[in-house]
Amino acid sequence: MNKFVVLLAIALVVSTGYTVVTYQEFFGGFTNLHNYSKTPGYVLTGTMLYPNGTLDLQVANEYGPDTYGGFIVLVQVLNSSVVYQWNASQLGTLPKSEISNEYPLHPAHSDGFALVVPLGQNATVVLHMPFSVNPGKYTVRVYDVDGQYSSNGVKFQAQVTVG
Amino acid sequence: MALPIIRITLGFMYFSAFLRRVVNMPAKMIPSSPAYVGGKLITFIPHAWLIGGLLEYTIMHPAFLYDFLVAWTVLEAVFGLFLMLGFMSRLSGLVIALLAWGIGLGAAWIGSTCLDEWQIAAVEGAAALVFVFAGSKWLSVDQLLIKKYPNGLKIGRWSLPLW
Repeated sequence: MNKFVVLLAIALVVSTGYTVVTYQEFFGGFTNLHNYSKTPGYVLTGTMLYPNGTLDLQVANEYGPDTYGGFIVLVQVLNSSVVYQWNASQLGTLPKSEISNEYPLHPAHSDGFALVVPLGQNATVVLHMPFSVNPGKYTVRVYDVDGQYSSNGVKFQAQVTVG
Repeated sequence: MALPIIRITLGFMYFSAFLRRVVNMPAKMIPSSPAYVGGKLITFIPHAWLIGGLLEYTIMHPAFLYDFLVAWTVLEAVFGLFLMLGFMSRLSGLVIALLAWGIGLGAAWIGSTCLDEWQIAAVEGAAALVFVFAGSKWLSVDQLLIKKYPNGLKIGRWSLPLW
């Protein structure tokens, strides 16, 4: 077989391989089809709650469209019921000093209506309750502006322990 | 004969990226602008494949990010134009295939309508690779070169089949 045909065969395998492997890798096309780019979704890993009522909300926007960010309109601290929550008007007017972003571009910010977390950004947002909290286990949950607290098989919440 | 139908459009996909960033909207290449193209890399991070670490490093080093974007844009402009002209089509096809597949490793999970970025990466990569083997005959600069130098570029005792 001449060299041209060998190279052509390799190119065919590489090209077709890229197509089918990335189809499975990015979309699970041959097993469980999914598209992470449709609906916003947040991951709260690393969130901490302190006895004085300070919440370090660690929020990463890892799902949804790339051009329009995610809009968080409600943050709740729960045990059996809601201990405290921050609504849209509070989240929409957070001072810049309470938000720190992992990446320098596309920072998370308040826009007057919501806490905006652009796709891919991972921000620490410091929120203060007006009272201290008892030791114990709590759930911290955020709601997207579409009213959901889960999408893409992920719940936008974290378990935290105080004390 | 029919290859220019795909070659010219494919080349324009890359050459026009340069036009958008440099001619239509120069703000896309200004790091302090909200339109800065560098911000796109953040949106790739959550579900990038194999190159997540590289993307994070690039975003955390703004000077490197800028150089990377300039280099990428130059490659798109030069080899996109070469492909349209049918100049060094075999080399241009290889470069464009690598650009298409490379960006796909980061972006292919994005696309809320039709797995958009994945389709772009897979189709443009495969299409560009065709020219590595097919070269350009009709309606190309290469056909003039082939007449004069049928064995490609000669360097010492090596002949590189760039066209």
